Amino acid sequence: MGLNYQLVLWNKNKKVYDRYILLFVLLYLVLFWAITLITNRNTTLETLTIRSSGTLAILLLHIILSIGPLARINTKFLPLLYNRRHLGVTMFLIALIHGGFSIFQFHMLGDVNPIYSVFTSNLDYSSLHDFPFQVLGFIALLILFAMAATSHDFWLANLSAKTWKALHMLVYVAYALIVSHVFLGAFQQETSPYMPALIGIGFVILVILHITAGIKEVRKDRQTYKASDTDWKYVCEIDEIEEDRAKIFIVDNERIAIFKYENKLSAIHNVCKHQGGPLGEGKIVDGCITCPWHGYQYLPQNGQSPPPFTEKVATYHVKIEDNKVYVLPKALEEGTEVTPAIIK
Amino acid sequence: MKKDEFYIGYIDNVPPKTKKKLKITVYILLIVVILFAIVFSLFQNKFKNSTFELTNISEITGTYHNNPYPSIRMELQPNEYKNVLLLGFGKFGAEKDIKNIENRLMSIEGQEVSIKGNLVYYNGKTLLQVADSDEFPVSKKESQLPERTINSLGEIEIEGEIIDPKCYFGVMKPGFGKIHRSCAVRCISGGIPPVFTTVNKEGISEYFMITDAKGNKINHDILEYVGQPVKVKGELEQLDNWFILKLNIEDIKLLKGNSKIYSN
Repeated sequence: MGLNYQLVLWNKNKKVYDRYILLFVLLYLVLFWAITLITNRNTTLETLTIRSSGTLAILLLHIILSIGPLARINTKFLPLLYNRRHLGVTMFLIALIHGGFSIFQFHMLGDVNPIYSVFTSNLDYSSLHDFPFQVLGFIALLILFAMAATSHDFWLANLSAKTWKALHMLVYVAYALIVSHVFLGAFQQETSPYMPALIGIGFVILVILHITAGIKEVRKDRQTYKASDTDWKYVCEIDEIEEDRAKIFIVDNERIAIFKYENKLSAIHNVCKHQGGPLGEGKIVDGCITCPWHGYQYLPQNGQSPPPFTEKVATYHVKIEDNKVYVLPKALEEGTEVTPAIIK
Repeated sequence: MKKDEFYIGYIDNVPPKTKKKLKITVYILLIVVILFAIVFSLFQNKFKNSTFELTNISEITGTYHNNPYPSIRMELQPNEYKNVLLLGFGKFGAEKDIKNIENRLMSIEGQEVSIKGNLVYYNGKTLLQVADSDEFPVSKKESQLPERTINSLGEIEIEGEIIDPKCYFGVMKPGFGKIHRSCAVRCISGGIPPVFTTVNKEGISEYFMITDAKGNKINHDILEYVGQPVKVKGELEQLDNWFILKLNIEDIKLLKGNSKIYSN
């Protein structure tokens, strides 16, 4: 939640996060270079740079893609999600070193434009075995660039959360392109089975994590209701909602979070305006619903971010009868004040 | 009552259970990073001991010949000669440099000249990336070497890969195969002589300069076959330390699978 856009809104946790990114990146590069120079002295600096940056980029991409489902499976992993965009930008820069050096090495200083050469120096597009794998890497790099360039909240606000999210879901397309780039390129020539095996294990882990997180989401969504403008829907007993926490219910494909706090109940739309985080998995902190992803806050009674912030989410009427909680599943205009249901 | 932990990124204190989980995660990531670094660096293909003297300018003296490709012929010892292929900067042949030189000195064909440049060498073959061709060589003189003799060795059919010798013999590692294919295409397209390389049953590599069936330079016509396993048929000749393979494009056949030189 920011009023003025700054390059980075630094805080202690972001700094610690970035220090670990730097540490792991340097550790990988130092190890890769040292082992290669000791065991493979005839290398060239260009090849060493291309290989170390390429392999590091694919490792980072696996870590990045693991964070989302890990945070859904266990909220203790949410700190990894908090500053994931810095990891993403780091990964792009390393991939850019790999792509830039490769284009310089293999396509520049020749008789045609190097980008034209990427697409035309091998025209076996109809062959899987001989496919021009550089093209796949180039397109993946363009996607990663678009994501890195729009990773700032300025773009999130100006593109709209939906467009921004759709753009950033292209990371899965980039992953598919990169894996194909590697298997149709380097792994056609490298003879060790260990490298493809590692990438294969990475793929399997990613699939398992995403399926597990998906199953958990589906289980969360099992309480669903048909929407109606006039009918109050029973959702749960008061005791089923923990203090300062919420339960999430799906009504006409929209998730509603009902929060319990200070002997009151309030219902708001579950989706955070920032990056679409699940507000219902957040907590009331200092009287505000706080998003678990990046800490964006909303007042429970009106869905508005506390002044001077301006984000608003839709609110819902909620009532209590005989310790049973009912919600009127018609979304009110974002930021509409609703009197909380009082727990007697 | 259990403590309800909730992490907020912009609040300095991280809840204890979350912190513990993060510590374990960092250790796991540490192991993963080390494992990846070891596997990817230790098991990558070995590099050849080919050399490109990028920062060192050498001078070689010998007789210049334009055919089949620009080269300097040198006498190693009585009756033993070596042809050093000349190359241009980047992914280009030496034509532009030869033009620069001949603009100043007129034709240098068959003349003794001293050429400066960066040496590229591997497995008995030497090449020179010409430098300072606007000013060097400053003179030429009559060659002291006897005429070249080209020996015909009959027809040959072999399997291997068409490579660009500049990268293969030193500038790039690896300078062959699918990873390098685009670069080899650019180099040969830019005028660098195409070379065919093969490995015999004993694991010995051999190299052949490729020309068309009439012995003329061939570059653009063979681009689609570069950097892939191929079987070629043609007339074999020997010029000092180089074989020359004269072939028709129709006699190049693409093979499936990896080139044998991958194990080189």
